[in-house]
Amino acid sequence: MKFLTTNFLKCSVSACDNSNDNFPLSFDGSKCELIQDTTIEFNPEFIMNVIDRVDWDAIVLVAQELGNNSLPAAKPVLGSVEGLTEDDMAVLRDLHLLFIQTSIKEGEMKCRNCGHIYYIKNGIPNLLLPPHLA
Amino acid sequence: MLPTPLVKCDYDKIYEPSEDSFLLLDALEKEQGYLVEKFNGLVLVCEFGPGSGIVTTFMIQNRIPVGLNSVYLAVDVSPWAVEATLETAKLNNCDKGTVLDTVQGNLGTGLRKNQVDVLLFNPPYVPAEEVPEVPESKDDYKWLDLALDGGEDGMVVTQKVLDNLDSILSKNGVAYILFCARNHPEQVAEEMRLKGWKIDLVEHRKAGWEVLSVYRFSRN
Repeated sequence: MKFLTTNFLKCSVSACDNSNDNFPLSFDGSKCELIQDTTIEFNPEFIMNVIDRVDWDAIVLVAQELGNNSLPAAKPVLGSVEGLTEDDMAVLRDLHLLFIQTSIKEGEMKCRNCGHIYYIKNGIPNLLLPPHLA
Repeated sequence: MLPTPLVKCDYDKIYEPSEDSFLLLDALEKEQGYLVEKFNGLVLVCEFGPGSGIVTTFMIQNRIPVGLNSVYLAVDVSPWAVEATLETAKLNNCDKGTVLDTVQGNLGTGLRKNQVDVLLFNPPYVPAEEVPEVPESKDDYKWLDLALDGGEDGMVVTQKVLDNLDSILSKNGVAYILFCARNHPEQVAEEMRLKGWKIDLVEHRKAGWEVLSVYRFSRN
């Protein structure tokens, strides 16, 4: 599961939909095995679109849980693709590495509201609930 | 005509791509122009119940809707289907270089609200006494039934998605859903229109004894 996908998942328990704590799921860094996939080419425009789209606070939080404390607290503000400086490109490369190249191969994630734990096995998160919670 | 992905799966466990799957591909091919017009920026394409993965792979292979700016998420209840979807992507060289993840889950219940830009759904639409229970073990032989049996009028699973469409789709989001005639799609479409949705028939075809259609749902 790519790091970016953590920005699109929430707890499956319907009662947690009334809480603000069902997203993002909380990752236990010590139990997560991360891998790098270098087959996806760096595309600055794509990463800029990702930045536009994501919930940045959730990105920062999950990155910290997985051991990356280097992200700025506020969403980076970049101009147009044509006007990118070298510093901007460095920021975008770092985010490409984090969002797209970094995957969680094995691990677990927990709802901050109800505490339910979801497992990631062989790169696939399982968000199904046991019958008594479904 | 756009190429159709190669698929090799164990069809005792995975729904074998059939007329319904191909109708959905044809509908999406037809919709390319509409989708390119509709979106700019990042597009999250999400398929519920990908089964073999043929539809999601088709989207990746043909860079629909907007080549390098799309990310793909395929959600299936079956552990066999989430694996098959990745294998089909790989078989068609669509795994490398693409932002694709598969998730084992129940429709949109594990997805953050209002994020899906393009939803694809070829549901279990066959009228049946009930929707099968989710098997407890991966080795259960009943996983395939979940891909077919749709309960009363074959609409039980589809109706769940329609009822939650407003919280699944992004503001500009659009859903493509397949129906058979026994689902009474025109009636379903009318009910959704009354709730404020815009519904368009994209494809319609007689396939053997079934009449299949693909509808597009978007906000007015």
